[in-house]
Amino acid sequence: MDLLLNGFAQVFHPSIFILIIAGVIAGIVIGALPGLTATMGVALFLPITFGMDPVAGLLLLVGVYFGGVYGGSIASILLNTPGTPASAATALDGYPFTKQGKAGKALGIAVIAASTGGLFSVFMLIFISPQLAQIALDFSAPEMFGLAIFGLSIISSISGGSVLKGLISGVFGLVICTVGMDPMTSYPRFTYDNISLLNGLNFIPVMIGLFAISEALVIMEEQLTGGKGFGKIIASYALPTWNELKKLWGTILRSSGIGTFIGIVPGAGADIAAFVAYNEAKRFAKKEEKETFGKGNPKGIAAPEAAGNALTGGAFVPLLTLGIPGDAVTAIMLGALVVQGIQPGPQLFETSSELVYTLFSGMLVANVLMLIFGLVGIRLFTTILKVPKNIIAPVIIVLSVVGAFAISNNYFDVFTMLGAGIIGYFMKKFGFPASPIVLALILGPMAESEMRRALVMSEGSFMIFLERPIALTFIILAIVSLVVPLIMGQIKSKKAKAINE
Amino acid sequence: MKNFKIFSILTVLVLLLAACGGGNKDGDKGASNAADFPKKKFELIVPYSAGGGTDTVARSFADLAKDEIGQPIGVVNREGGGGAVGMQNGANAKADGYSLSVVTVELLTLPHTGLAQFTYEDFRLVSLLNEDPAAITVRADAPWNTIEEFIEAAKTQKLKVGNSGTGAIWHLAGAAFEKETGTTLNHVPFEGAAPAVTALLGGHIDAVSVSPAEVLTHVESGDFKVLAVMADERVEKLSDVPTLKEQGVDLSIGTWRGIAVPKDTPDDVVKVLEDSFATTIQSEEFKATLEKLNLGHRYENGEGFLNLVKEQDALFAELIPAIGLSPQK
Repeated sequence: MDLLLNGFAQVFHPSIFILIIAGVIAGIVIGALPGLTATMGVALFLPITFGMDPVAGLLLLVGVYFGGVYGGSIASILLNTPGTPASAATALDGYPFTKQGKAGKALGIAVIAASTGGLFSVFMLIFISPQLAQIALDFSAPEMFGLAIFGLSIISSISGGSVLKGLISGVFGLVICTVGMDPMTSYPRFTYDNISLLNGLNFIPVMIGLFAISEALVIMEEQLTGGKGFGKIIASYALPTWNELKKLWGTILRSSGIGTFIGIVPGAGADIAAFVAYNEAKRFAKKEEKETFGKGNPKGIAAPEAAGNALTGGAFVPLLTLGIPGDAVTAIMLGALVVQGIQPGPQLFETSSELVYTLFSGMLVANVLMLIFGLVGIRLFTTILKVPKNIIAPVIIVLSVVGAFAISNNYFDVFTMLGAGIIGYFMKKFGFPASPIVLALILGPMAESEMRRALVMSEGSFMIFLERPIALTFIILAIVSLVVPLIMGQIKSKKAKAINE
Repeated sequence: MKNFKIFSILTVLVLLLAACGGGNKDGDKGASNAADFPKKKFELIVPYSAGGGTDTVARSFADLAKDEIGQPIGVVNREGGGGAVGMQNGANAKADGYSLSVVTVELLTLPHTGLAQFTYEDFRLVSLLNEDPAAITVRADAPWNTIEEFIEAAKTQKLKVGNSGTGAIWHLAGAAFEKETGTTLNHVPFEGAAPAVTALLGGHIDAVSVSPAEVLTHVESGDFKVLAVMADERVEKLSDVPTLKEQGVDLSIGTWRGIAVPKDTPDDVVKVLEDSFATTIQSEEFKATLEKLNLGHRYENGEGFLNLVKEQDALFAELIPAIGLSPQK
């Protein structure tokens, strides 16, 4: 505890405090822009920190990381253009809120859930990380396959109106995943000798296209055809009331737990955490409430935001205790630590306990700052809704082009994005949800390579999935999530029939 | 009116794309005059993503080299195709000396696996930055304490050896080891070296064939032991670990990183770069950076670099078809 207090004293030193503020703000902006993810933000800031004092440099990156994960939700709630993959889950219920003129409430719920999730995970990191670290080691290929399959089963709950259309979207996403080098043999599949396709279609440009470009096209169409539908959106700053929040605590805490857990699992990021939490929020919701998911249920915002940000602390658990990163961002952080001459691992807590606890205090402060900026910023963020739609649409397109190009400085990604945008537009027209494609793109490659890796390990025996308890649990959960809603649907319709007769 | 709106939006888009493209093409022609070289900013293409090992080396190099050469060096990450996209870009860049590329061992392995259209002859090699050998690393509680014991065990049972992806350098190292020692290994490919190391830490595989740099933290924490390195000489930080050659297995294989320019770059320009980079790469600051990253240091000038590349190219030309990774027609 002394160490933590000492850490706070260091964090509030003006030179460090200003860096955290700068990091959080930069992170929020980066996260909000389409295509610029928290991962990219941290990578961009990394070289700047080389010349800094270790604590200052690391806390700047922490600020960018935390802010970036949250920032994605702003664009996703206000414009339905998720800035990061994780916030694609927030868009499901966040954007309907905006359409109902309750943008302020949605943003308020998002930032409160996000910072609560973040704080929760940092406390877990501080107090029980050695105990949690074991989870990271227990997860290998069969367990990761189980998690991926369980994640894919979520498609049935994020499909909106039609499960069939959701599944079609999901399968379409899985088909796209087969493009690129075979993950096990490196044999090029469907690449047509184009080296840009060797690594498969880059998933961020596809996501930007499906959400942002298609949204811009829809806006343009509405402008041209005389603005039917939601022509005018009333921007309301009204924050969520205490009573509204009270109903969300259960969801926020559960989602924070899910997020922290997924954060610890190496290779699973904020996107998976957000979608899993969304699914669980819906599963735990009361029967009559389930219908409102996807149409503006506050739990549908709170769950992915809490989980996505709870992931951040979780991802640090294996990084600091074992020296293995919990997600893509902490992989870059590992590089940052090493450059600073800090070797993460079991001895870190003994050799550099002062640094570790300053880092912890900084993480708590960064989450609180995020809450403050998020709440104060609501008025500022919502002004974007007052901008005429005919200006918004080209701005979205320009930002999307820049964002897609920035990912790997490659034109190919820009064309991928534009192509996905056109597909996304027609999907919107015909009522196919885009989120299942995003989920399939995240989890498809993971499911494929982890399953095949597990089979390489077991030399071809499928028993490896049944013999390992964690893997088996996830596979059973996946089957349950897929089958139970169908059976319940059958029973319901039979009962309805019986009553009618 | 409506059509006009669509038209103007499309025009803006097209102009924007054109503007992005223009950036690469501008700049003055005929920069071959070495007397006033360099007179503008350099671009250093890194064929891997920002934040990775190669990127970190490149950025530290660029940061130190700019003072020596007197012009800024902008690092551009062009990832994709396991390095193929960036290196192809680098080979096709303008041969005026301002377009530098980081090249890695994949410059040799990608063409032999049929995943790239370029060869090392499309580049003019300027300087070698670093070199890291492969190693055989097992858990500290594993029953094998020497590489002979490991080889003996691998002859009777199929040990699971993790690598960073099929066809990637650590897989080739594992396959070469298998070939040279007459063992049969179960190569388990992961997406990069880090997940392979994690799997070894969790006890899900028996060994990894990655570089010492990637396992050193875990060796220091007492979780892993390195049985042998696949280099000509022992590694500084693991001075008690024997090389395979000492154990009678004639195998040296590993990764390296260097700076190259397109093949038509004028000689006098290359000379300026080579001389300037020699100072940077051999500076104490650069060595210290590599040391912090646990990476091996090795400098060669253009000629020495070319010799290394030729020697290794011969090795891969034989190895890659032998393990069935050459392109199927």
